[in-house]
Order: sequence, then C-alpha cells, then structure tokens
Amino acid sequence: MLMLPELLVVATALVVLVIDLFLSERTRWLTGLITLLGLLAAMAAACTNTMHGALLGGRFVVDAVAWWFDILLILAAFVTVILSMDVLNGNTRVRMRGLGARAEYYCVLLFTLAGMMFLISSRDLITFYVSLELATIPMFALAAWRRDDARSGEAGLKYVILAALSSSLIVYGMALLYGLTGQTNLDAIGRILPNHVGPAFWFAVAMLVAGAGSKFTVVPFHFWAADVYQGAPTPITAYLSVASKCVGLAFMFQVLFRIFGGWLHDGSLLVSIFAATTMTLGNTVAIVQHNIKRFMAFSAVSQAGYFLLGFLGPNEAGVAAMLFYMLVYIVTNLGVFTCIIWYQNETGREEIEDYRGLSQTNPIMALMMMVSLFSLAGIPPLSGFVGKFFLFSIASSAGYHWLVALAAVNSTVSLYYYLRVIRQMYIEPPDADARRIPITKKLAVTEAFLFAGVVILGIVPTLYESIHADTATWLATLLR
Amino acid sequence: MGLVSWLIALPFLTMLAVVCVPERHWRMIRWISAIGSGIHLCFTGLLTYRFWQAAMPDAAAMQTAQSTKLYFVERIPWFESLGIQYYVGVDGISVAMVILTSIIIFTGVLASWYVDTRVKEFFGLLLLLVTGVFGVFLSFDLFLFFMFYELAVLPMYLLIGIWGTGPKEYSAMKLTLMLLVGSAFVLVGFLALHHASGMHTFDLLQLGQARYTNDFQRWVFPMVFVGFGVIGALYPLHTWSPDGHSSAPTAVSMLHAGVLMKLGGYGALRIAVYLMPEGAKMWGLVFMALTTVNILYGSLGAIRQTDLKYFTAYSSVSHCGFVLFGVATLNLMGFKGAVIQMFSHGIMTGLFFGLIGMVYGRTHTRVIQEMGGLGKVMPWLATMFYIGGLASLGLPGLAGFVAETHVFLGGFFGNPWSASLATKTLTIIATMSIVVTAVYVLRGLANVFQGPITDPHFEHLSDARLPEKLSTGLLVGTLLFVGLLPFYFIDLIEPSIMPLLNRLGN
Repeated sequence: MLMLPELLVVATALVVLVIDLFLSERTRWLTGLITLLGLLAAMAAACTNTMHGALLGGRFVVDAVAWWFDILLILAAFVTVILSMDVLNGNTRVRMRGLGARAEYYCVLLFTLAGMMFLISSRDLITFYVSLELATIPMFALAAWRRDDARSGEAGLKYVILAALSSSLIVYGMALLYGLTGQTNLDAIGRILPNHVGPAFWFAVAMLVAGAGSKFTVVPFHFWAADVYQGAPTPITAYLSVASKCVGLAFMFQVLFRIFGGWLHDGSLLVSIFAATTMTLGNTVAIVQHNIKRFMAFSAVSQAGYFLLGFLGPNEAGVAAMLFYMLVYIVTNLGVFTCIIWYQNETGREEIEDYRGLSQTNPIMALMMMVSLFSLAGIPPLSGFVGKFFLFSIASSAGYHWLVALAAVNSTVSLYYYLRVIRQMYIEPPDADARRIPITKKLAVTEAFLFAGVVILGIVPTLYESIHADTATWLATLLR
Repeated sequence: MGLVSWLIALPFLTMLAVVCVPERHWRMIRWISAIGSGIHLCFTGLLTYRFWQAAMPDAAAMQTAQSTKLYFVERIPWFESLGIQYYVGVDGISVAMVILTSIIIFTGVLASWYVDTRVKEFFGLLLLLVTGVFGVFLSFDLFLFFMFYELAVLPMYLLIGIWGTGPKEYSAMKLTLMLLVGSAFVLVGFLALHHASGMHTFDLLQLGQARYTNDFQRWVFPMVFVGFGVIGALYPLHTWSPDGHSSAPTAVSMLHAGVLMKLGGYGALRIAVYLMPEGAKMWGLVFMALTTVNILYGSLGAIRQTDLKYFTAYSSVSHCGFVLFGVATLNLMGFKGAVIQMFSHGIMTGLFFGLIGMVYGRTHTRVIQEMGGLGKVMPWLATMFYIGGLASLGLPGLAGFVAETHVFLGGFFGNPWSASLATKTLTIIATMSIVVTAVYVLRGLANVFQGPITDPHFEHLSDARLPEKLSTGLLVGTLLFVGLLPFYFIDLIEPSIMPLLNRLGN
C-alpha cells in the first residue's frame, strides 16, 4: 500500500473529529492521544514501506525523496502535537486564553500534514496544486487559533493575504506551463519544456520561483514570516518553522528539479544570489529582535538561505545534503521551540531578556537550549555543523567559493545573536525572587529525545549515509 | 582504542565525570579535574617515550622525505560518501604540542583551585575546551581538525563571560566572533583544497600528494594562513587578544595564551605551508613584514600598560609574532624556531598568567603602579616571576633564548624566494624588540616586587601555597629543561619538520 501513510493521517483526522462528539470536556484530552497514535501508525506504515511505485495512473508516485520527506513531515507533526498537548489541555502554570477546540485543532493540523505528504508525491499539476492548498489553507486557521488575541488574528490575516498571493502566482505559472506544453504531468512538462523557451516560459519561471520562494521564506518573498511566527500560538509557530519549511523545500524540489531541471545548472548564479541575500538579510535582521518568536522567524529565514546552497551544481550529493540538513534542522529547531513553549507555559513570557538566569532556575533545560542554539549556529560537533558543512561542500564543489565564505561568515553573525540568548541564560543573574522552574514529563522526554538527536546526528554517520545511498540515483533521471 | 584516542578521550571523560558530580561536592570536582589531568600528563609521558622509541630510528630517512610520517595512527571511516574519516596520529610537532597542552591544563587546574562560583560548570567547560585542543593537535583529517578547532574556541565565550573580570561580556563576544570569522576562512580554504584535489578525501597526507596550481595557491594560501593568523594574533587581527586575556579568569588566560594561540601557528605550519608550498613562497615576505609589525608593536604596546594582564597580553602578541615570523621565513631554522617558540611561549605565558592570578588573589589589584615590594612577602612567587620574565626577554639558559635565536637566525638566512635584503632588514628590525622586551619586563617586575612595600595591607600577605608551588615549579622546570638541554627537544621535532622543508624544494 503505497498511499497508506497518507490515508492513515486523513483517517486519523476524521476519527478525531467524530470521537470528539462523544467525549466530555474532562476526557477530551484523549483526542491528543488518538492523534499521536494515528501519527505513530502512519510513521510505522511509512517506515515499513520500502516499495517505490506509482498510483492513480502516475499521478501519485512514491520514490526515495518522497519517502524521506514523508518521514520528516510525520516527525515534525508528531513532535508538534506533543508540544501542543500541554497548552491545549490547560496544563500550564500560565493559562493561555482562547485556545480551545482541541479536536478541531488536531484535525486541522492533520489535514495540513496530509496535504504536505501528498505534495511531494504528486506528479500532476492538478494534484500538485490541490495538495499545496490543502497544506496551506488549514494553516491560516491554525495561525489565528487564539480567538481573543489580536496578534493571532493579525497573523492569520497576514498569512491569508500573502499566502493567497503566492498561491495565485503559482497557479498562474502552472497555467502558463500547461499552455506551453499541453501536459499536466510534471515529468512530461519537464521533458517538453526545452522546446518552448520564450517570453511566456520565462514568465512562468518567474511566477513559480516567486511562489516557491514565498513558501520557503526566501528573501525577498519572506515578509509574511515574522508577523505570522510572532502572532501564531507557539506550538503552531514551531510547526510552521519546521513543517512548512520542509514542505517549502519539497515544493522547490518539485519545481526546480522536476520542471526546470534542465536549466538549474545555468541558473546557479541566480540561486546563489538568492541564497546570499536570504542568509544575509535573515541574519542581519535577527540581530535586533527582542521577541524570541520573531527572532526565531528571522533565524528560520537565514536557514532557508543555507538550504539553497544544495541546489548549486546541481548534483546528487546536494539532494542528500539538503534532506539531511532538513532532518537536522527539524530536530534542532523543535529542540529550541520545546524550550520556548515550556518557558511560556510556565512563566507566560516570550521576550529574549526574560530568559535571564535560566541556567540557575533550570540548568538542564538551559543546557539543552544552549546546545540546540549552537547547533543552529553550526558549531561542531553538533549536527547543525555537519549538515551545514555538507551544504557548504556542495557550493564549494560547484565553484562558488565566495558564497561559501559569505555563508561561513554569516554563520558567525548568527552565532552573535544566538549568543545573545545564551548570554541571558548563562551570564546574567536570575531575578532575586526567581525559583526553580519545573517542567512537565511530556516536555522533558520530548526535549531529551530532540537533544539526543541534535548531538547524535552529527556524530553517527548512519542516517546521512542511508539518505545518500537512497537518493544517489534520484537526480540522474531528472537532469538531462 | 589506542593511546592517541585515549589522549583525546581522557579530558572528555573527566568532563563527564565532573558533570555527574552534584554541585555541592565542589571539592570533589576539583580533585577529579586534577586527577584526570594528572593522569593525562602520565599518558603524555608514555606517548613521548613510545614516540621516541619508534621515531628515532626513522630520523635519518626523514631528512629527504616529502611526506610527514605518522605514528600510532588510528583511522576509522566516518562519513564515507564524503571521504571523511576519524584519523588521528602523532608526529614530532604534535607530540611537542601535546606535552605543552598537558602541562598547561594540569597547572591550570591547580591554578584554579580556589575558584568558588559555579565550580562544576567552570571545570566542565575547561576540560571540554582542552578536549578540543588535543583533538586539533592529534587529528590529520581536515574535517576532524576543524571540528575540534571550533570546539576549542567556543567554551571560551562562557568561561570569560561568566568568570571573567572587567568588561567581560564585551571581551568574550569580541574574542569569540573574531576567532570564528577566522575559522570561517579556514573552512572555505579546507573545502577548496578538498575539491580542487579531486581526490575525494580530507586526509591531510593524501591531500599532500595533490598538485595544486599556482593560481589556486595564490588565493587559498593567504586565506588559510590569515584564518589561522587570527587565532595566532597576526597583526592587525590581534585586537581580540589583549581584551580577551585581561578579562579572562586565570586558568583560562593560561590555556588561551599558552595553548589556544598556538593552534594558529600550528595550523599555519601544518596545513597552510604543508599543502601549499608555492603559495607560501609567494606570500612569505608579506607575512614576514606583518609579523615584524606584530613583534615590535606588541612589545611597544606592553611598555605602556599599567595592568599586569594587559602587560602580559601585549607581550604575548609580540611573542606569538615570533611563531608566525618563524613560519614565514620558510627555512629549517625558522620552522624549528617557530615550533620551539610555540612551546616555550606556551609554558612561559602560562606561568605568567598563573602568577598574575596568584598575586591578584592576594593583592586584589593588577595595576603595576599600586604594587611594590611584594618580593619581600612572597619570595617564591617573585622568583618564579623573574625566571619567567628572563625567559621572555631571551636570557640564555632558558627556553625563550633557544626559540628566539632560531627564529632570528632563520630570518637572517632568509630563503631563495624572498629578496634577501628585505628579509635581513625585517629581521634586524624584529631583533630590536629584544631591547624593548628587556625594558618592559625588568621595569614592570622591579615595580611590582622590588623597593619598599607601598601599601601596609601588603605586609601580611602570604607566599605561594602547595598547589601553587607545584604548578609554578613544574612550569619553570620545563623552561629550564628546554633552555639547558634544547637538543632533546630539537631531536624530537626536527624529523617532522624536514618534510615541510623538502616540500618547498630547494
């Protein structure tokens, strides 16, 4: 059953919605548990499925890259659900108002996940676009989930408008592609396109690149990110920062490799310029942020710039490097967000300065947060360093030494602002009345796992090697 | 796991042990650190002995070798698809550096005996830092090297930021960022070297077989050299060093000036010159000129300082200039001098910072003018200070003399690729620094230790206690050993320097 993981996710969404009808307010926490079980089942189904193949007349294809994206996406959703549970169940020291409707929350979350999983497997313009919308539209609702919070509403509205704009660009680009080639199959379009280079073609390229850039927060299409990240409920911010980044990358894979694969080599310079501006702007703006969620938004923008290095060349190692770094990024970023969510649950605060003295009030969480931030900054021997090193290596092998230098210097700049947080945690003394801040078991276990991932992924080569082995021949069929 | 891996793992295991002890048993923490680094010193002794046994018979063969020979090699494939491996071993230069580091961390732990805030974190970070340093000196895979290199730099931020004095946060941030920008350029160079070789490996010796074009070496060599130069305090990128050293707590200054700054010289010699001999020839004179500025500027700067730590930090800038100057001379004398200077300056500056910490712990001031006559109440510390000072101004019989003589002779001999007049002039200018050094060392020490006791509070101060005597005694003993019996040390390093020289071609 090639489509089993996707179907399980959709089924879980529906089951959660139905079961909710029969639960009282006191037993409604069960919906979270059911969601987790459903995701576990989907993960198990994905892991045990080693077959690759096509369904629905070639409109739905599972290949090595799609398989890895499925795993990454389910992982991101799984952790997000755990992170959401305390907040939604009201199991926090500081109650966050307006966060009810658990079953609907999980259901909507699962639908976005299903959309994301379909997106990377789709091979047809129609299914491609529909799954993109399925991944995006429920997200608006999630961003605006805190009904009586003005910021949350603002986040939702901004997200709707800007995402709708990028979707309309994408659909325009797709229409042009169809007009040029008369095909809806992505591979067929990629094959035929070289015969149709003209103004309309370049217009389509511009539309799709702008749309993809917006989904992946590439500068200058990143404007929605900061406000949405800040306003959305924090678990959703976490989900946006990893899952939506992951699906952005999947979208880039589909567009750049599958449709425009033939031009990617010539377009390297353009990719390098996007990469350079994205990482530089993201890093520069992050320096002046005070709110930690906004701060993480710009950090995420700059990370998108590093990912783009993988498209240079292009070669097989780039695919593996990007997928591996996505895994590392998901684990690391969720590691940071677990701390942010925990701290917000316990103290209700989200400014960077509020973290002062954390190393005294909860040394273990401070340590884990520090290590995760170092990993984001690319400090060895953590996984973030290894992932970035592989990406830099791709750029270097493509001859973009200036870009490697810029990226490496950017990593140092990013270290500067990550150190600002670390300085608050470790160097500044805690408030006089500060007491030890407790942590719930759920969050502690999650953070411990993520922390282990941050450390181990960089040291144990198995996972990278298996990604590399799986995707070694993937690109050869697409680049002509 | 072989001996070399143990040398890297031991500080790390000690760190884990320290982390597992609850904070309230802080006495136990410092004992664990002391015992761990003591055992490390024994391991280093064993390594030196076994290396001596293994390497001495090969010394003659190395005179003409093109590639350095490693001993006790361990290699395990790591990220195979990228040609990255865990590849450690030793040659003469790394043995010398390991001895240095091992001595400094042991004495550094003893010098931090009286740290009383957040003891666990302090020793944990110190040991983590030193793990990185050993890793750098022992690894021969560029990826592994770089990994350890950054691991050695980063704990510095917290060590200075938390336990430092004065404008500690500013200094810590400046130091970390400058060093990491330096390492960013090193990283670019490493990747370029890897891809340009077409060999699909990060193995240093194997990359040594690659023939890089002159155009390639023209831009990559200065990049890597300057990248390492930042941590080696190359003028004008040395500005992190005085601030960093003066804000850091005692043991951290010791490790930083004593060992970490040596990573720069080591990397420049081991990687930049080894892999890119042509680039070294093109740029040798430029770097010689820059390091001459280093040497003079540092010593002139030291004259004007009133704070003992700034005083020593500027003198370190000057002395580290000798290391890179020696590397830039591109001849046997210069290379030997650079390695001996790395060692002797490491010991010397470790001694200085250790002593300053001890004096400061008693007088609570580091301002030279406020002190006076301390020799009367603390004769042991004063004696040690004087020996260190004399070594630093190059008195024969102490390690500093051996090093400086080699470096100056090397500079004077010059090399076939740089204008002889220029190298001779630069050497003569650099030699002037000896006079300047004598001025500031003697004047500074006389101010602090000689004359009448200026402040009545000083009359009841105590002399060194046992851990302090032990650590300073060990350092001074090493200075004397290298100073009086330099041939042992030279025999240790020379066979490993010859390949570097042979690769330059003559």
